[in-house]
Amino acid sequence: MATDNKDKTHDEEGYEIDTLTNERLIQDHTYDGIKELDNDLPPWWKWLFYLTIIFAIVYMVRLFVFQADDLVQESEYQLVMDKHAKDNPKSDESNTFKIELLTSSADLEAGKETWTKICAACHLVDGGGIVGPNMTDNYWIHGNTVDDLYTIVTNGVIEKGMIPYNTQLSEKARLQVVSYILTDIVGSTPATPKAPEGKEYK
Amino acid sequence: MELQKFTYDNRLTNLFIWATVGWGIVAMLVGLTIALELIFPNMSGEISWLVFSRIRPVHTNAAIFAFVGNGFFAAIYYSMPRLLKTPMYSKALGNIHFWGWQLIIVLAALTYPFGFTQSKEYAELIWPIDVLVVVIWVFFGLNLFATIVNRRVKHIYVAIWFYIATWVTIAVLYIVNNLALPVSLTLSYPIYAGIQDALVQWWYGHNAVAFFLTTPILGMMYYFIPKAANRPIYSYKLSIIHFWALIFLYIWAGPHHLLYSALPDWAQALGVVFSVMLIAPSWGGMINGLLTLRGAWDKVREDPVLKMFVVGVTAYGMSTFEGPMLSLKTVNALSHFTDWTIAHVHIGTLGWNSMMNFGMIYWLVPRLFKTKLYSVKLANTHFWIATLGMLFFSIPLYFAGFTQALMWKEFTAEGFLAYPNFLETVTQILPMYYLRAFGGALYVIGAILFIYNVWKTAAQGKFNRYENDEAAPKGPAKKGESFHRSIEGKPLKFTLLALVAILIGGLFEVVPMYLVKSNIPTIAAVKPYTPLELEGRDVYIAEGCYLCHSQMIRPFRNETERYGEYTKAGETVYDHPFQFGSKRTGPDLAREGVKTLPNYKPDSWHFNHMINPQKVSPESIMPPYPWLAENEIDISLTPNKINVMRTLGVPYPEGYEDQAIADLKAQYDQIANGLRSGGIEVEDNKEIIALIAYLQRLGTDVYNNK
Repeated sequence: MATDNKDKTHDEEGYEIDTLTNERLIQDHTYDGIKELDNDLPPWWKWLFYLTIIFAIVYMVRLFVFQADDLVQESEYQLVMDKHAKDNPKSDESNTFKIELLTSSADLEAGKETWTKICAACHLVDGGGIVGPNMTDNYWIHGNTVDDLYTIVTNGVIEKGMIPYNTQLSEKARLQVVSYILTDIVGSTPATPKAPEGKEYK
Repeated sequence: MELQKFTYDNRLTNLFIWATVGWGIVAMLVGLTIALELIFPNMSGEISWLVFSRIRPVHTNAAIFAFVGNGFFAAIYYSMPRLLKTPMYSKALGNIHFWGWQLIIVLAALTYPFGFTQSKEYAELIWPIDVLVVVIWVFFGLNLFATIVNRRVKHIYVAIWFYIATWVTIAVLYIVNNLALPVSLTLSYPIYAGIQDALVQWWYGHNAVAFFLTTPILGMMYYFIPKAANRPIYSYKLSIIHFWALIFLYIWAGPHHLLYSALPDWAQALGVVFSVMLIAPSWGGMINGLLTLRGAWDKVREDPVLKMFVVGVTAYGMSTFEGPMLSLKTVNALSHFTDWTIAHVHIGTLGWNSMMNFGMIYWLVPRLFKTKLYSVKLANTHFWIATLGMLFFSIPLYFAGFTQALMWKEFTAEGFLAYPNFLETVTQILPMYYLRAFGGALYVIGAILFIYNVWKTAAQGKFNRYENDEAAPKGPAKKGESFHRSIEGKPLKFTLLALVAILIGGLFEVVPMYLVKSNIPTIAAVKPYTPLELEGRDVYIAEGCYLCHSQMIRPFRNETERYGEYTKAGETVYDHPFQFGSKRTGPDLAREGVKTLPNYKPDSWHFNHMINPQKVSPESIMPPYPWLAENEIDISLTPNKINVMRTLGVPYPEGYEDQAIADLKAQYDQIANGLRSGGIEVEDNKEIIALIAYLQRLGTDVYNNK
C-alpha cells in the first residue's frame, strides 16, 4: 500500500519505486522477492509488431485475392521456365559442330575433368570399370568410333543403366570426354580391370 | 494474517541438475562424433550402431529432451514452490517424473542406434516409448497443477504462465503427431500419409522448438534473471502481450518447414506470415529479459551467471529474427536443405538453451550446497570458450550453406547445371565441416570445465536438502482487478485459455488438409508399394537415410533439371510415414528410380555404393552400410504390414496379405539374379535387395505413365 514514507524507496505520492531507475513498482506484484515494473511497450517494438501484421495482411491479400505469381507456386515455376525457353531458343544442332576426335590438350583436359566428375562413378577414374564396362580394353559393346561413343554419351543405354547426358553436358563437353576416353583411357592399365565385354575391335 | 510454515525439498531439483549435466555432455559428445563422421565417413567402420544416420537422432533427442528437458524440469521444481509458496505437491509424482524421464532417455539411446525409429524428426521414439512419454508427462502435469492449486500466492507469476503453456501444448502436439497403428511391438505406421503427415510432423517439429526449447526457457529466464541480478522485471505489460502473442502465433508457423514443397500455397502462406509476425513477440521476451538487467550491467561484467544469461537471451533474439527471415520464400529457397538450417538451430541450442542452462546451474548449485562457486575464473573461461565454440560452429556452416545453395542453382552459359555432380558441391564445403567440428570440440571443452566446476562446488559444500519458508495463506481475489490479473488468480481458466490459443492455429491448418480433397489432387498413376518395396522402405527408415537425403523436388529450374519433375502432393498418398527429409547432405532421391533422369543408377551401382560408397565415388562422405548385404529381410511381418497399410487407406486388395510373400520373393529373385549376372555375389533375401527395390521405385509412377 501507499505509505507516506519520503525515503528513497518511495516516490512523492508514496508508491514504492525501483531505486535505480526511479520507476514505480507494481503493488502486490512480489513473487519470491521478484518485483515488477510496468514500463510501456517500447514504441519501436510496437511498430515492429504492427508492421509484421500489415505484412501478413498484404501477403494474404496478394495470394487469395490477386493470386500473385510469386506466391502461387505453379505460376512462379512456369514463368521461370517460359522465360528460360524464350531466352534460349532451341538452336538446331549448330552447323559448325562436327563429331570428330578433338586433340588439343585443352579439350582433353576438359574431357578428363568431366570423366573424373561424372563417368568415374561407374567406370572408375582409371577406366577399369565397375558398374559400367572396362573402357581401357579393346572390347566394345556398342562400337568404338567417335560417333559410336558420342551417341552413347548423348542418348545413353537406358536398359544397362547408362543415362543420357544430353541434358547435363553440352555437345562440346560430350565430344571432349569421348576424345579423352579414346585418347587417354583406351590402352591404359587400370588397377582392377573388369572382364572384357562385347566384341573385340582391332 | 497468520504466517504458515512449510518446507521446500531440494532433492528433485538437485537430481534434475545432475541429469542435465550428465546428459548434456552425452548430447555434445555424440554431436561431436557425428560432426567428425561427416568428415571421416569410414569412422563408423562396419559397426551399424555407430553410423551417422542412426546416431544423429541420439544427438538431437539427447540435446532436446535430455539436456534442455532436464534443465527446465530442474528450473520448475526449484522455482514453482518458491513462486507459489508451497512445496511441490507430491514427492512420489516427482520421483516418477524424474526416473520415468531418465528411463525414456535411456530407452531412446538403446533403440535409435539399432534402427528402431519412426523417422519423424524429434519424434523418432517408437510407439511403446511414446506411450511411456505421455504417461510420464501426465504424472508431471498432475504434480504441476496440484502444486498450483495448493499455492499460497493468489496470482501466478509470468514464469508459471510459460510452464503451463509448455505442459498443455507439448501434450497436444506429442499425442497428435504420434498417432499411429502398430504393426509390431517396435514398428508402427502413422495414421497420416505423405504431405498430411509432413504437415502434422512440422506442426509438431516447429512447436517442439517453440514449446520445449522456448517457452519453458522463457519461464526459466523470468525467474532466474531477476533473481540473479536482483532487479525487478522490466514490464508486466510486455509480459502479458508477448506471452499471449507468442503462444497464439507460434502454433501456426510449422508450414515454413515445407516451403516450396507439395504443400498447398495457402498453407505455405500461413507458415510465412505467422513466422514473420513472431519477430516482435519473441523479441518481447528478449527485451524483458535484457531490460530487467538495467542498472545491473556492472554485475554482468563480473558475474559469469549473468554473462551466460545475456549471451543466451541475445542468441534467442538472433535466432528468433533469423527464423522469420528463413521463413520468407526467397530466403528459404536458398537456405532449405543446406547447412544454413543447422547453423540456425545451433545458435538456438548452443546459444540460448545451453547458456541458460549453464547460467542457471552456476547460480543454483552454490545455493543448493550452501557454498560459493568453486571457481568464478573457470566459469568465465567456460563462458568465453562456449561463446567462441558457438561462433566457430555456426559461421562456417552459414558459409557452407550459402555456398552449396548457390552451387546447386548455378547454370553455365549454355544452360546446363554448372555442377551436375552433387558431390562437387559437397567436397567444396568440406573444409567448413572441419571448422564446425573444431567449434563443436571447443564447446565440449567448455562443458567439461563446467562439469568440473559444478562438481567441485558441490564437493566443497554440503547438500542443503530442506529449506524452510513461511507465508500467509492466499486471500480472496480483490475487487476491480483487470481481466488479466483476474485470470492470473484462476489458473484453471488461464490454462483453458492457453489451450484455446494454441489449438486454433493447429485446427486451421491440419483439419483442411485432412478434409478438403482439392489440397491433395489425386494422381491415378500412383500405386501402392510392392511388398518388397515396402520392406525396403522400412530399411530406408530404420537406417535413417532421410537424415541426409530428401525426397522432395522443389519447383525450381535447377532442381527439375537435376532431379526431374517436381514432387506433387498426390504422389505421396501412400507414404506412411512421409520421407521428405529436411537436409541434403546427399542428393534428393524422390525420382531415384526414373531411368531417363540424370540421377538414375543401375541396381549394381546401388549395391556397390551402399557396401562401399568410396569405391564408386572416392570423395563421397556417405558411410558404408555393409550389413545391408548380410541382414535378412524379416518377412514375418510382411502380411501384417499389408493389413495395417490397408486399414490406413492404402488400396491393397482384400486378401493380398496372403499373396504378399510370394510376390516379394519373386521380386527379390529377379533383382538378385540381375546383380549376380553382373558378377555380384549376393543372396536373394537380403535387406539390400529390398532397399534397391524401393529406390528403383521412387518417383517412377508418374514418369512411366507419361
